[in-house]
Amino acid sequence: MLMLPELIVVVTAFALLVVDLLVSERRKPILPMIALAGIAAALVAAWMLPQSGQLLGGRFAVDSVSRWFRIIFLIAGGLTIAVSADSLNGRGAFRPAALSSRAEFCLILLFNLAGMLFLAGARDLVTLYVSLELATIPLFLLAAWRRDVESSEAGLKYVILGALGSAFLLYGLGVLYGLTGEMRLEAMSGALRAGPAFWLGVGMVVAGVGFKLTLVPFHLWAADVYQGAPTQVTAYLSVASKGAGLALLFHVLYRILAPLAPHWDGVIAVLAALTMTVGNFAAIVQKNIKRLMAFSAISQAGYLLLGFLGHDGAPGRGVAAMLFYLLVYVVTNLAAFAVIIWYSGETGREKIEDYRGLSKTHPLMALAMMVALFGLAGIPPLAGFVGKFFLFSVASKAGLHWLVGLAAINSTVSLYYYLGIVRRMYIEPAGAEDRAVRVSPMLATVLAITTLASVILGVVPVFFETISFQTADWLKGTLW
Amino acid sequence: MGLLSWLILLPFLTALAIVFTPGTRKSLIKWIALAGTGTHLLLTAFTTWRYWTLAAPDMAEMRTARVMKLYLVERLPWFDSLGIQYFLGIDGISMAMVILTSIIIFTGVLASWKVEERAKEFFALLLLLVTGVFGVFLSFDLFLFLMFYEVAVLPMYLLIGVWGTGPKEYSAMKLTLMLLLGSALLIVGFLGLYSVSGLQTFDLTRLAEVSFPAGFQKWAFPAIFIGFGVLGALYPFHTWSPDGHASAPTAVSMLHAGVLMKLGGYGALRVAVYLLPEGAKDWGLFFMALTTINILYGAFGAITQKDLKYFTAYSSVSHCGFVLFGVAALNLMGMKGAVLQMFSHGVMTGLFFALIGMVYGRTHTRMIPEMGGLGKVMPWLAVCFYVGGLASLGLPGLSGFVAESHVFLGGFFGNPWGSMVAMRTLTVVATLSVVVTAVYVLRGLGRVFMGPVTDPHFHELKDATLTERISTGVLVATLAAVGLMPWLLIDLIEASIMPIVNRLHS
Repeated sequence: MLMLPELIVVVTAFALLVVDLLVSERRKPILPMIALAGIAAALVAAWMLPQSGQLLGGRFAVDSVSRWFRIIFLIAGGLTIAVSADSLNGRGAFRPAALSSRAEFCLILLFNLAGMLFLAGARDLVTLYVSLELATIPLFLLAAWRRDVESSEAGLKYVILGALGSAFLLYGLGVLYGLTGEMRLEAMSGALRAGPAFWLGVGMVVAGVGFKLTLVPFHLWAADVYQGAPTQVTAYLSVASKGAGLALLFHVLYRILAPLAPHWDGVIAVLAALTMTVGNFAAIVQKNIKRLMAFSAISQAGYLLLGFLGHDGAPGRGVAAMLFYLLVYVVTNLAAFAVIIWYSGETGREKIEDYRGLSKTHPLMALAMMVALFGLAGIPPLAGFVGKFFLFSVASKAGLHWLVGLAAINSTVSLYYYLGIVRRMYIEPAGAEDRAVRVSPMLATVLAITTLASVILGVVPVFFETISFQTADWLKGTLW
Repeated sequence: MGLLSWLILLPFLTALAIVFTPGTRKSLIKWIALAGTGTHLLLTAFTTWRYWTLAAPDMAEMRTARVMKLYLVERLPWFDSLGIQYFLGIDGISMAMVILTSIIIFTGVLASWKVEERAKEFFALLLLLVTGVFGVFLSFDLFLFLMFYEVAVLPMYLLIGVWGTGPKEYSAMKLTLMLLLGSALLIVGFLGLYSVSGLQTFDLTRLAEVSFPAGFQKWAFPAIFIGFGVLGALYPFHTWSPDGHASAPTAVSMLHAGVLMKLGGYGALRVAVYLLPEGAKDWGLFFMALTTINILYGAFGAITQKDLKYFTAYSSVSHCGFVLFGVAALNLMGMKGAVLQMFSHGVMTGLFFALIGMVYGRTHTRMIPEMGGLGKVMPWLAVCFYVGGLASLGLPGLSGFVAESHVFLGGFFGNPWGSMVAMRTLTVVATLSVVVTAVYVLRGLGRVFMGPVTDPHFHELKDATLTERISTGVLVATLAAVGLMPWLLIDLIEASIMPIVNRLHS
């Protein structure tokens, strides 16, 4: 029962294959809908299931933190399929932006989603690694989906560097296993002893995790892959892959390395500081909106890291703030990407300057984009501000006031490039050839939901309070 | 829902009403904006009366109080697990600022009667901005405070960027980024207060019961003071102000110079000095020196300006220097002067920018040398301009005199935590600016309004319209009222400043 969400996702994936064979071409738009329905069912299951329990002799377990990871992953996957539906059905006016083979696309995305769900529940090394690969390899395929030069290049780069990252991680985990002789994550923490081999193992694990999470200096693959991949995949990569990285880091830090808790603040702080600063400053000079969003996503990973700081006092606070911001980031970033997907799908243009005059031609789309960008920059009363503020408060409680300062300054810097887009949309006049283009009902619905969510999450306290309350529950079961 | 919530909500609801009005019905939009802000003015008057009846009996007891007393308090838990509340209250300082803001936005709407381009968005954003301003003045939870603070800053980007003139995109970006860098400092400081206090609360009144460690106060005070100082045009962080004000449309300049810059002084007094008295003692003299530069730099800067808006913007830098100078003097007289100056300068500069907008709308130039003799063709505007100018150079009988004399006396009395000689020298130097102010005000206004009419086209220009007369008339009357009956305002604020002073001395 505890594995129900995962099973639903996998079964839906196989069902898609069968249905694809049976229905006529005219009926095929139903396929993304089936995928969406499956994800919705899994979401309900993840919500309704008990908040703790284990399976397979403790190799797979559910607790309140992994439950929230699962919910967030499912939301991210569902929204991605929803914003991709138009391109999968070939509805966009700009033909090259359409995505082929809709059944396979949904299927691979669902497998990837299943991998991430398993990852959240993994409690031993093998389960962890296998589910991580399941959450990674489908992304290589998705990145190369369009089969033109850029997309293939993105896929190839992603495969090579991704394999390198996985190799680091696997080698690191292998070393740690060798040192402890334990497979269970929690059991490993008890048997660890410091020494050269231990530090080697930890270093490699950090590099592997850093790759997934696009932490500086392991971020170099991200910009090219994000730019080259189909926009729908970029959107998914920027939220889901990041979420999987966080779940992985959570396992590594709070399970394998738990006894080191008082010592990892320094490393996390430096990684966070580097990641947010480098990501932000690199974003300033970008001309292509997808590349800009890639660097913006890198800097956001830096903020998310702040959630792992601080362990004397109330360690759970950071986890709640991190999960909350991840949720906020997922809806806000996907709102921004929904506009980008729509615009490049209809016009084929993805330079920042192409957005000029959007407020004249499409006032509502421009408004949605502005709200999303301000959310990412952390402007009140949007949820982005609230989420960031909570993460900053974690760092402040850990006594790292300099990091709070750096993070807050970085938020302002990020506003510079987000405002650059707002300036184009609102201040610059539309070009003579710019016309209003079609907005599909599906896209409008997704945008309405994500935009509203990015406001409501920040104003209505119940969401954060629930996460905070439930994850505090998780803490009671651990060594703190 | 209480009275204070309505004070914040009313502009927001007006903005919403405007959003749902069709953009083509421009005069309807303006009437909605006017009705909303007019109602707000009435509501503010009612709140003042309520506040006065509640607070008057406590006046004597407040002389020795160390904790500020709030009235009409509204308190609801919000993000409860972090101790964040929806916490509104009002005291004398807030009351004065709310009155100021309400007057400025009302006259600002009147002064924007000629805005035609995208009028709907303009008025909606303007009212959204004021919502933030009222929120800041009324909230006593630091998180809520910060939230409103940024809501008040950000619409400025679009207001200047879309409706501004000159290098508007540059000015708008510079202004937004500098002000938000200031708020980045505030975030560090506020979170520091939160985590160091260990109380799990952002409640300002409860944080005021904590004595923060000296080492913390030593860095947190300048962080918060400068964070607010950026908005209060503290030298050398004032550079956004001339560009921003010069590029902004009339009502936005009015609001920004008249009200938004006051958030800086207000926050410095209410948060920095009140919560971190030890830090204030360490840094008081330093900031006094910095603000002296402010005052002189602004005044000398104004002399050299040819553009009326830059002229007023530099004069604002100088006058906002008085506010922070009074705060940094760390005594009752100085702080009283600071609040009086916030009020007085708010009205005065609102009047200036309104008049500049009106003159520019007629002559299509803001360059002082191109104008001359305008007093003959538009006497009403000229008289108002002169009243504002005389208030700005501190003529007795107008509000400027009351405020500046308080500030200078405050500086001269000094405080026991810095070198008395240094403080008195700084005060004397700062006082010299009054002479400089007289030079630039009289010279500048003389060039524009006196003498023969330089351009024959000027003869065809008309004097103020009815809306313009109401708008400027209200502001001039306020300047005179405060100048002639300063005790109205002083009584309102004095009891609320006492806790800040008492905390410094305990």
